[in-house]
Amino acid sequence: MRFTAVVEKELRQLVRDPKTVVMVLLMPVILTILFGYGYGGKTSFPIAIVNMDQKSGGYALSDQLRNMFDIRAYARTREEAIELVREGKIYAAVVIPKGFTDDMMAGRTASLEIIYDASEPVVAQSIMQMVGVIVLQFELWASEKFGTFSISPLFYSVYGPSTQRVENFMPILMGTLLQLVPTSLISVSVCRERERGTFEQFAMTPASRFDIILGKLAAYFIATISDVFLTISIAMLLFGVQFRGGMLDIMLLSSFFLICSLSMGLLISVLSRNQLQAYQASIFAFIPSMLFSGMFTPVNLLSDVAKAVGYSLPLYYYLDAFKAIAFKGMSLQLLTYDLEVILIFTVVFSVLSINLLRMRVE
Amino acid sequence: MIAIEARGLTKKFGNFTAVDNLNLTVEAGVAFGLLGPNGAGKTTTIRMITGLIKPTAGYVRVYGHDVMAEREKVIKNIGYMPQKFGLYEDLTVEENLMLFGRLYGLNKGEVQQRSNELMEFLDLKIFRSRLAGKLSGGTKQRLSLAVALIHDPLLLILDEPTAGVDPPIRRQFWEIFRDLNRRGKTILITTHYMDEAENCDKLALMSAGRIIAEGSPSDVKRRAFGGDIVEIVLSRPANLDIQGVKIIDADGGRMKLLVDDYSTRVSQIIAKLGPDLRDIRPVHVSLEEAFIKLMGGS
Repeated sequence: MRFTAVVEKELRQLVRDPKTVVMVLLMPVILTILFGYGYGGKTSFPIAIVNMDQKSGGYALSDQLRNMFDIRAYARTREEAIELVREGKIYAAVVIPKGFTDDMMAGRTASLEIIYDASEPVVAQSIMQMVGVIVLQFELWASEKFGTFSISPLFYSVYGPSTQRVENFMPILMGTLLQLVPTSLISVSVCRERERGTFEQFAMTPASRFDIILGKLAAYFIATISDVFLTISIAMLLFGVQFRGGMLDIMLLSSFFLICSLSMGLLISVLSRNQLQAYQASIFAFIPSMLFSGMFTPVNLLSDVAKAVGYSLPLYYYLDAFKAIAFKGMSLQLLTYDLEVILIFTVVFSVLSINLLRMRVE
Repeated sequence: MIAIEARGLTKKFGNFTAVDNLNLTVEAGVAFGLLGPNGAGKTTTIRMITGLIKPTAGYVRVYGHDVMAEREKVIKNIGYMPQKFGLYEDLTVEENLMLFGRLYGLNKGEVQQRSNELMEFLDLKIFRSRLAGKLSGGTKQRLSLAVALIHDPLLLILDEPTAGVDPPIRRQFWEIFRDLNRRGKTILITTHYMDEAENCDKLALMSAGRIIAEGSPSDVKRRAFGGDIVEIVLSRPANLDIQGVKIIDADGGRMKLLVDDYSTRVSQIIAKLGPDLRDIRPVHVSLEEAFIKLMGGS
């Protein structure tokens, strides 16, 4: 079969090219270690609970919070909690006010204050979402027992010392390794054949554009899939990174995104005149992805224009789903939207590559 | 049967016309040489014949199939050896043969058998596990030829196959080409070595994108000079007034004559001069001289 002949040929070439071996095997190792040491090693979300209620309702809520969070410190007062966030000992504190239980019994709206570290927007956001879920569950439970009850949360932001955390570097690391590396690697593959003259011989065979594009895609996928395993294994083993969600979900999601990056690289290669241009284009394509896809700054904190750019890039959907699985413990089944968008990008890139590839040498 | 038929073939690159309204007919079974200096448009012509570039005007048919419209049918019949080595330097000799064999749709067993035959025929056996990039120039060309032959095509298109190859090896190549031609392959070959072109059955001389002469090597020469050249030596001056014989050079008793028809005129000369004729022989004209003459004349 022609397709398998192309796959075999590409794999042979990849294995024999020292540049590929360095890129595929060493880049994940080097980057993970660099980011890992650079960004420190804390892995959980320590928070504090300030229970000023000291009655049954307050205790019940604290218990639920304790099940979800890593409770590192106890503060007696709100001020003490603020100080702990400022020092970077905790990332947030939940303050249960005096009279919480009384409000609950009487069916009044109770308030709940969440003090969070605004220097860690990603962490803060996920903590708020988790607290939100607990609050909702608590409301339902209490409403069933004591009649209608609602909690209105108040947010108070404090700036902590902004200690870097492993959770912050994982999206950056995965984004770089699964977009920049495969895209730039494959982006030279078609124009290199044109430059070296091998395309002229290739184009004289009955191999179709499908065989070439899909064959290259498959071969590069096989060659770079190890990056996903390598990166995650190093991050887990060396830096104790823990994911809330399923490992299989992360692998699956990352594999889909890897194919998407490869198909983008192929499109660049089909459109480029030479290897240098292809390389530059793949790096250039990475810049907006890096800035606007939620690698460093959550997308909802960006300007509308930047947001629009972010939404038009596949990396955004990958990171969105990655964070949801890794930090919020969601399952991939709930993230079909992100997955679908990634698939659509992949199909569009591949179809364009196949259609724009000219089996000629002009 | 006609292997290649090109009509009104034209290729323009911007303002530059690389190939200008070219007509070419290559009959099946011949070894056809496309001659001309570098830049005459040979490679552009070849690439239009193979469908690797699209003509600005005109068309090419290979065994009756349009090169652009019926590419799949055309490709199966063509074995192509590009001017620049087009194989994968990071694959071995055998891997290159296997790859291209499979791309042409042969199954693994078939390619294996065919590769072995070709490696035998082209002396590549000892290099089978060597990377193509590590081969010498001549061996690379032999591998390139082997790949061109892997699917047993009817027509071989060889673009400057002997460029940069040492003269003794060039001769070997021509023996191989003649051998392939005898086995029934139609060959279209380009070269700028005029001496090699004598090996072809038919020639087309290209200059500045046009064909300036066409025919067998002797036809081309005859056309260039307007006939054959004969040298005679006379024992004493004599009258040479024969229709169709022209003196082009005289040095005492030694003369160069241009005759419009070799056999009839030579017998007429012998009959007329009788015992005064001490020697008569044809003068070998090189294609190069013919080409220069044609270039100067046009």
